[in-house]
Amino acid sequence: MENLGILDSLSDECIDEILQSWNGYCSCTEEILKGKGDLSIESEFVAVVIALCRHGLEGLVKDHFLQVLEVAFKENGVSKFWQHFHDYCDASMMASNKPLQIQENYQSVLCESLEEICLQKQFQEKCLLILVHALQSYEESLMESKKSEVETDNLFSRYQLMVSSVLLTTLPRHFPEILRLYFKESLEELSTMMAEEYEGGNEIQGEGNFDLDEGESLTKIEVDIDKRYYEMNTVRNTKLVRNIGKVVRDLRSLGFTSMTEDAYASAIFFLLKTKVHDLAGDDYRSPVLESIREWIQAVPLQFLYALLDYLGDSVGYDTASSGLKSPLASCPSSCYPGISIPSEGLIRWQLRLEYFAYETLQDLRIGKLFEIIVDYPDSSPAIEDLKQCLEYTGQHSKLVDSFISSLRFRLLTAGASTNDILHQYVSTIKALRTIDPTGVFLEAVGEPISEYLRGRKDTIKCIVTMLTDGTGGHSNGPGNSGDSLLEELNRDAGNQENADCGDDFNIDDKQAWMNAERWEPDPVKADPLKSSRNRRKLDILGMMVNIIGSKDQLVNEYRVMLAEKLLNKSDYDIDSEIRTLELLKIHFGESSMQRCEIMLNDLIDSKRTNTNIKASMQQSQRGTEQGEGISLALLDATIISSNFWPPILVESLNIPAAVDQLLSDYARRFHEIKTPRKLLWKKNLGTVKLELQFEDRTVQFTVAPVHAAIIMQFQEQTTWTSKNLAAAIGVPVDMLNRRISFWISKGILSEMPGKESDDHVFTLVDDMVDTNRNGVINGTCEELLVVDEEGEGSVASVEEQLLKEMTVYEKFILGMLTNFGSMALDRIHNTLKMFCVAEPAYDKSLHQLQSFLSGLISEEKLELRDAFLFITERLKIFIHWPQES
Amino acid sequence: MVRNLGWHPVASWTWDAQDETCGICRMAFDGCCPDCKFPGDDCPLIWGACNHAFHLHCILKWVNSQTPQPHCPMCRREWQFKG
Ligand SMILES: [Zn+2]
Ligand SMILES: [Zn+2]
Ligand SMILES: [Zn+2]
Repeated sequence: MENLGILDSLSDECIDEILQSWNGYCSCTEEILKGKGDLSIESEFVAVVIALCRHGLEGLVKDHFLQVLEVAFKENGVSKFWQHFHDYCDASMMASNKPLQIQENYQSVLCESLEEICLQKQFQEKCLLILVHALQSYEESLMESKKSEVETDNLFSRYQLMVSSVLLTTLPRHFPEILRLYFKESLEELSTMMAEEYEGGNEIQGEGNFDLDEGESLTKIEVDIDKRYYEMNTVRNTKLVRNIGKVVRDLRSLGFTSMTEDAYASAIFFLLKTKVHDLAGDDYRSPVLESIREWIQAVPLQFLYALLDYLGDSVGYDTASSGLKSPLASCPSSCYPGISIPSEGLIRWQLRLEYFAYETLQDLRIGKLFEIIVDYPDSSPAIEDLKQCLEYTGQHSKLVDSFISSLRFRLLTAGASTNDILHQYVSTIKALRTIDPTGVFLEAVGEPISEYLRGRKDTIKCIVTMLTDGTGGHSNGPGNSGDSLLEELNRDAGNQENADCGDDFNIDDKQAWMNAERWEPDPVKADPLKSSRNRRKLDILGMMVNIIGSKDQLVNEYRVMLAEKLLNKSDYDIDSEIRTLELLKIHFGESSMQRCEIMLNDLIDSKRTNTNIKASMQQSQRGTEQGEGISLALLDATIISSNFWPPILVESLNIPAAVDQLLSDYARRFHEIKTPRKLLWKKNLGTVKLELQFEDRTVQFTVAPVHAAIIMQFQEQTTWTSKNLAAAIGVPVDMLNRRISFWISKGILSEMPGKESDDHVFTLVDDMVDTNRNGVINGTCEELLVVDEEGEGSVASVEEQLLKEMTVYEKFILGMLTNFGSMALDRIHNTLKMFCVAEPAYDKSLHQLQSFLSGLISEEKLELRDAFLFITERLKIFIHWPQES
Repeated sequence: MVRNLGWHPVASWTWDAQDETCGICRMAFDGCCPDCKFPGDDCPLIWGACNHAFHLHCILKWVNSQTPQPHCPMCRREWQFKG
């Protein structure tokens, strides 16, 4: 517009001159762009440009020139350029399942077409330079060259802008994907080459050079650097990197800078992800994080280093960048001291790649955490890796959420045995303790497990068995047999305490972890008071006690189990029980274990007393006839302080007369020695070792006295009716029927229906060979411990005691539920507390109530829906609560 | 033919006192006094001339605290150990 204004004020002469110059300018431009710009044309061009500029038409000259360049670029360059990629428009077609030939083909197509269009661009820039020179000549003629440089810069940047906008507005949609594929495949190729090289230099590389001591670090780092420098050179010199570098440079020159970076970034991340998956796999027994870090150093970082170096924008000796302290910068291998201080860009790349790798590995491991924990402690390398990843990413909440849901899905189901759940829980505790020394999310993860276990009846029993049983925490694990979980825990605690002394830095670690940790623990559960040293004491036993509800309940259950075990011993060997008790005393305190200690002491005393009594009886008996049945030598009694034992089920039983006589003598002698103390025999308790002799063989059994009493009756008389036999041994008929089934199952007795409908006839199977023909060899001895075969213990179990006490409230609970329709557990609990104050006052814990109610649920009297208890439809039919009256 | 290879019976012991608990510490006779860890031989019972029984340790403490003349805590008769 401005130019046209000038035109108005011009003379005709001037206009003619301008027109002439303009025509000359246009034709020269055309010639130059055709590449025919020889010296004469160039000087003519300079002349017309100067002429036009003199008339103030400098802007018009520039605009026209750029316009012509644009048209030419579009016509000769762009459309042809995109044409090359037309065949590859279906980018997905080029995914790896395509023949290699085609892939190579398009790699070279990309290189060549880029080269072609860049050549054209370079040519146009050369043309532009001619214009710049012309303009400079004009300005020199004006003797003022102040602004010239700015002007030319401006011209080039306008040109650059034109090039990129022309390309970007015509960009085919699949082009970025082509770039991504190009980089992906090139990188894969590079990675393979690196792997081969790596293999070659493996011997040096194999040495762990990551945690170096101050002393040896210098020399080692130097070796390291030399080697890396060498590697770097090989990479830099490879044709491949040069080609990639060239492609990147060309793309940048066309204005695809960020698209290119996105493409190789996404290719690198893709490759890294594949690599992490390859390295990690389903192998949890070896650490992979280190190899991943090494690989990042060896492939993508070297590639980036070489690339940035080739492009000339990486290797600034930029000391300012050392201000950027990454958490990894302290690690000597993570930068390249000596070669150059890595550019900030490279460090940023390293951080990005490592973060991505950590996150990928972490997600992979979290997804398989259940299996990993099943495999614990063999899988501890995977756990250690996961710990490091989480420390870096701070995404602990991911672990908690994912693990809880896999627990609910896979473990906390009706199909899993309580034992399995407990073992998995123990492994979980051990494994997570490694990851999270504060125990914050162990609590979060543990809660659903303990909650679930509380609803199971056999939980306490399983826990106690696990603690005291020789099979330890892992029944199928090698090596540890004969070692209880408790002993393992104790060893563990010892180690932990030792470790605790020396690791003050750990507290900082913990603090860092707490800071990094975004997941907010439940403020009630995660008591800040617990968060210091007490928190670390979150031991497995403590978590077990937490399931049961109280220490006392666990101790109680242990006592019942111990009593059962001790009463069924046929000797006085209690070494392993003493060891367990000592360990339990450490955890629960001496006073809690006092009664158990007295029980064990009873066995020690029994052994001594037994020896004394037998010795004195033998003296007085000397010369007297031994009598039939049993000799004193075969008798070994256990004498208990019953006040300290759990309630013991005493049943009447007529034992063989000879034994009975011997027991009376024994008791009398005890009274003589220990006056005024007396012995009270519990004849149904204890063990008896028998040998059944048949014509062709003998068989040994260790049984309860009632079994012995039964079978001995068959010496006098080979057939008994259940009524007669029950009377003979002094037990109720139904108990006889239950107990005798042991001998029937062993093929020693046979059973037939009796004359009366409720009577049975039992007969000694003379010819046992018939029933057991297969595999029976004369004289074979077979020892079986069959105590408690039918689950009839000699000690009242804790549940039996609880059940008896709770049954009183059953009617009350059913009545409440009939009235209210449904109630939550704690409401039932509170109501019982409020109303059942008269004898027997309700004094049970919530857990005890819960386990009683789950009994009612399994009897289908109650059902549980959404945490509310209902009376089942089935039961409603049977209940007729007095409505009126 | 059944041959007995070993009989391992179970019995409990008792002091066989008339009362269940010690009149001094209120603990069971077949248990032990508050100062003792183990019952039985370690914490024996003792009878007075009045036929009242106590944990030995309990009555000794009682007797020592009663001056000049100790009495049975149950019947207030002059305390004398049963001979
Ligand atoms: Zn006492
Ligand atoms: Zn005492
Ligand atoms: Zn008295």
